[in-house]
Amino acid sequence: MKLELSGIVIIVGAYGSGKTEVAINLAVHMNAKGTTVRLADLDLVNPYFRTREARHALSRLGIDVVLPPAKYMQADLPILTPEVAGMLRNPSGLTLLDVGGDDVGATVLAALADPLKGKAVQVLQVINPNRPYTDTVSGCLRIREEIEAKAKMVITGIVGNANLMEETTEQDILAGYEFSKHVADAGNVPLVFITTPTELLTRLDKKDIHCPVLALKRQLVPPWKRAETLGPSE
Amino acid sequence: MAKVLMKGNEAIGEAAIRAGCLNYFAYPITPQSEVAEYLVRRMPEVGGVFLQGESEVAVGYMLFGAAGAGARVFTTSSSPGISLMSESISYIAAAQCPVVFVNIMRGGPGLGGILPSQGDYLQATKGIGHGDCRLLVMAPASVQEAVEMVMKAFPLAEKYRNPVMILGDGLIGQMMEPVEFPDHLKSEPSNKDAWATNGMDHRKSNTRNLVKSLFLDPVVLNDNNLALKAKYDRMRVEEVMSEPYNTDGDYKGLIVSYGTMSRVCRTAIDMLKADGIEVGMVRPQTLFPFPVKAVEDAALKPSCTHVLSIEMSMGQMVEDVACCVKGRLPVSWYGKCGGDIPTPEEVIGVVKERIA
Repeated sequence: MKLELSGIVIIVGAYGSGKTEVAINLAVHMNAKGTTVRLADLDLVNPYFRTREARHALSRLGIDVVLPPAKYMQADLPILTPEVAGMLRNPSGLTLLDVGGDDVGATVLAALADPLKGKAVQVLQVINPNRPYTDTVSGCLRIREEIEAKAKMVITGIVGNANLMEETTEQDILAGYEFSKHVADAGNVPLVFITTPTELLTRLDKKDIHCPVLALKRQLVPPWKRAETLGPSE
Repeated sequence: MAKVLMKGNEAIGEAAIRAGCLNYFAYPITPQSEVAEYLVRRMPEVGGVFLQGESEVAVGYMLFGAAGAGARVFTTSSSPGISLMSESISYIAAAQCPVVFVNIMRGGPGLGGILPSQGDYLQATKGIGHGDCRLLVMAPASVQEAVEMVMKAFPLAEKYRNPVMILGDGLIGQMMEPVEFPDHLKSEPSNKDAWATNGMDHRKSNTRNLVKSLFLDPVVLNDNNLALKAKYDRMRVEEVMSEPYNTDGDYKGLIVSYGTMSRVCRTAIDMLKADGIEVGMVRPQTLFPFPVKAVEDAALKPSCTHVLSIEMSMGQMVEDVACCVKGRLPVSWYGKCGGDIPTPEEVIGVVKERIA
């Protein structure tokens, strides 16, 4: 199954669910298909491991990354650059917003209600059942409600991002798929896609997976590791 | 228990609960605020308390009060917050109460920055508060090790009736790794009858306990300092922890590095090995007591010609490393602070220039 997304796509989810890795890799995936992609780093909550760390790799591929002004790049200040409203008013092929974690991180979306008015928007909730508080269906639904209340937006789909980073196994992916399906069913929204580390993609038995699979190349790595090389692999 | 994917800060909070600590007092500061965010939700689930003080100064004395009453208690903060707590740490050490402090270091001095640093080494190991007081200081290099050290910190604080500090840096707090938690420990300090001021009807002992740090009689004050010194000397014998890396064979140079920086050095050592250059490493896991013998023995291996202290600071631990080597080999420092962590390539460059 092919993963095709366009228009305005907003990535939300619990803190540490993997929103940024999903957003970066989704941007690269659609860019490789010839879609014009703009990606905005809206993580105003946490100053570590943000999209901005992959900005150079993304720019090299021709993906436009919208960030706060350089002098504020390392600040833990809630800076929402006006460029974000501009990109929402005139969306390109795929306009991606990578939002901060939990309801606190999603609060920024309420401030974008005006440029989003009347626009078709997909709001995708990233879930990882190997994280605290999103290891149950009810936990995922609870965080969904909290995000929707603060964002003043409705979540339209689920992204299954089950992983234990480099310790992820095929079993984790398959169990995570089943879990994500339950969350999607319980919330009455589609499971839009799931992710897998790229090195597991070929070994993964996909016959029971009935949704697109996005292969992730990890970008937000500690300084003793190298980020995987981004770019078309298909 | 199955592994879960956790941020260092979250894992530190959970580890404290697993260690039977149900009292957490803190004041938020980047890059460790996730401990509070995690525990504000988690503590009520286990019948525990998270109380935010009006400042780190207040938090320090809330900890002192709770510990004096026999409660297992801890806090987390980052560099400037720890400075504000330092007065109370001295009082807690003087009064011989067990408290666990976690410092997730950020760049300094002053307000500095919010990215990882190891600039509080000297503060933690030698200058945490006024008077002759010391902390037992442990430095984790992974999220899993942070969990283990936090769980170990509570029994050690009670064994010595002394504050214990976990000294991590912003990356240890912020990075995510799969972790697993051991079973719960028992939740009550086993030796608290000897010191807790929790009312005579709560204790088996008939002696009255008094928690204080004022000793006006010079002989009594000296005796108290001797009692503290005896504990710190005992720590030097019983609590030293370090981990060697690539020290089995011959090596031309030795790196001493801890925490996040040691993981970069590990990668550099692996890359150097592929290049035919052998470098060993000693990673101190306790910073006080410092692993003097491990560093000395590794440095004095006949093949070793140079010892490098690599730190995310402007050369703090290098003083301890030089004390171990005692002038028998050249000792030098390399590091950066401010949040820009040296890369494996930079470490390799320094090794090639000074050692290879």
